[in-house]
Amino acid sequence: MPSSDSAILAELPSGTRHADVSARRLARSRIDVAIPLAQFYLQQSRLSGDLRYLGYAEAVLAPWVKQDPPAPDVLVLQATLQQSRHEFSASLATLERGFTVRPKDPQALLIRATVLRVLGRYPEASAACEQFARLVEPRLGALCIQSLRGLNGHLESAYAELQQVSSQGWLNSEKSWLFSELGEMAVRLGRDADAQRWFQQDLTLVPTDFYVRAAYADSLLRQGRPGEALTLLQGYESFEPLLLRIAIAQRQLHDPRQAQSSARLRAAFAAETQRGEAVHRREQARFLLEVEDQPKLSLAVAIENWAVQREPDDVLVLVNAAKAAGSPRAAEPALAFVRTQGLSDVRLNAATPASVASR
Amino acid sequence: MSTLRKSLWMTVLVLAGPLAQAHIASNGFLSLQVDGAQVSGALELAIRDGELAVGLDQNGDGKVTWGELRASQTALQVYVLGHVHVAGADGLCRMGFGPVQVNERVDGSYLWLPFTAACGRVLKHLSIDYTVLDAEDPSHRGLLSLNASGATQTAVLGGGSAVRLFELDHSSPWSAFIEYLRAGIWHIWSGVDHLLFLLSLLLPAVLARRQDRWEAEPMAAPAFVNIVKVVTAFTLAHSVTLSLAAFDLIRLPGRLTESVIAASIVVAALNNVFPRVTEGRWRIAFAFGLLHGFGFASVLAEMGLPDGARLVSLVAFNLGVEAGQMAVVLAVMPAAYLLRSTAFYRRGVMPWGSSAIAALAMVWFVQRALG
Repeated sequence: MPSSDSAILAELPSGTRHADVSARRLARSRIDVAIPLAQFYLQQSRLSGDLRYLGYAEAVLAPWVKQDPPAPDVLVLQATLQQSRHEFSASLATLERGFTVRPKDPQALLIRATVLRVLGRYPEASAACEQFARLVEPRLGALCIQSLRGLNGHLESAYAELQQVSSQGWLNSEKSWLFSELGEMAVRLGRDADAQRWFQQDLTLVPTDFYVRAAYADSLLRQGRPGEALTLLQGYESFEPLLLRIAIAQRQLHDPRQAQSSARLRAAFAAETQRGEAVHRREQARFLLEVEDQPKLSLAVAIENWAVQREPDDVLVLVNAAKAAGSPRAAEPALAFVRTQGLSDVRLNAATPASVASR
Repeated sequence: MSTLRKSLWMTVLVLAGPLAQAHIASNGFLSLQVDGAQVSGALELAIRDGELAVGLDQNGDGKVTWGELRASQTALQVYVLGHVHVAGADGLCRMGFGPVQVNERVDGSYLWLPFTAACGRVLKHLSIDYTVLDAEDPSHRGLLSLNASGATQTAVLGGGSAVRLFELDHSSPWSAFIEYLRAGIWHIWSGVDHLLFLLSLLLPAVLARRQDRWEAEPMAAPAFVNIVKVVTAFTLAHSVTLSLAAFDLIRLPGRLTESVIAASIVVAALNNVFPRVTEGRWRIAFAFGLLHGFGFASVLAEMGLPDGARLVSLVAFNLGVEAGQMAVVLAVMPAAYLLRSTAFYRRGVMPWGSSAIAALAMVWFVQRALG
């Protein structure tokens, strides 16, 4: 029990006060309130990594999604919400509804490209990028297309193309997109020093980009620099994906605080499993493998994860778990995907027999 | 619309980048302990969720203090009354609250609101309607831990799903097993008719019929074999019909079954007084045992077999019946064996005891057949 009435139990993040309920009420009857409010919540979720904001956005959008026909802007936000929850087919279906009303919607096309990319449907994602490119400034179109080429068998040349781009005059959000793509490509090329430079540039610009912070930490961990990873992640313990990297680093350093980090992650994964959700399966598989030493359990989660999403990191998780569990054949679907898509990633070379990865 | 499009555009660039999400979604923890007609439990909500529900931050400084939480206690109770409905067969249970407390979880402070719910009658089912934060955060879920008769059930509540109903009696196969085992034992001991039938067949097992007279069986082995034969035949027969009836493959009217069971006791007892069948009494045990099985089945039908544990419960009930029956056989038959050569046993217990049983069973028969 707290000892005094003035003890602070919690600090309330922006937009989570009960008083905000009046804005939410208003949003039920006025779409001009609902759309910016939903945007605000989605943005907060993105910036803070807090899934609760997705629920708030869902509540605001709910009455407007039920409208017949719903406004295209509402559908774009709904698709974004679904994508954030890894409900990828639902997100694509929502986008399709929007396209019937507004077929040339660059925002919707970009989300479509992103979702298809996560699903590993590269040709379709490229097509969405091509459509997107016809509607927006050339630099953004090129960014979308080259990012896909980097996954689709042309990593070296795509990386070279993007490196030539001058980001002068770009918006910060656009620069951040460019740097994170370059960083990821450098990782897959095995140029970790370059990758870390891109990641640093991005974080200087957008310190809240925890996706890049996680990729940066992974790069440090791969290079056997857990101490630096810990420094990079200090203060980000409340983000589960970053907490995972913290726990891995603590384990490598035999840091006793690892027990606490693990307990938090365990509780988070348990709650998510009980809810039947799968937002953090990739992290859960890595946690089981790299912190808990449970390769068999890790493989089971990695297989479930592979059924939902197919990014290079998802391939890596499945391959590593299958190898550690002594059932390399379990990774065969992922390796077949790598072969047919021409995905190249040096991290896979380390994890698989040369004959498989070099094919 | 053009300014709207522009701002949307900005948002999408920020939002549509690579995927990563942190912070688990909002969970409330509802723990309930059922004890007879009474439920005691607690609802745990993140401070943030409490704020969203009722507004804890009274001075609006963006922080929630322990003093503010305590001052909001009544508002929280009213909120729970409106958003956590616990009901038994008599409708909504009457809720009472304890003082709000704080629980530290790995992801921060949670308010912990203890309550009791008085449900009137002993609870066989519990229905829970959980609508906490349904208007503010549709992704909020209530993680339920429901403890009843030593078994714990878990469930995820909320998310627009309708009222959830929980069976309390037979929630786990193991607790169902124990319960049906007990019911089986209890039934064989309280329902005297099955025991009297069996005893009527077993009383002569330690004797031998020679020249129209009951004589002590000189050897232990034949007496033992007699007992085993009768008990086994009875058990096999009633197990068969119990199973058939339990799975609704055969059904007999209850009155007919009960009457014939009474009649079977009359027949078995009179056979001791005026012996017709002296060898192979196990055949009587088997034939009438089939009918006794229907009698057991009617008890089981009243209890009902729990979904998901039908076979386990049936087997447990049957085992209970056998265990109860064996206990009686083990208690009575050694004494009968020791007393078998006495006149008390051969001329007292055998004819007069059997006659008394027959008379009693005759009364039952009349009551059951005509009542």
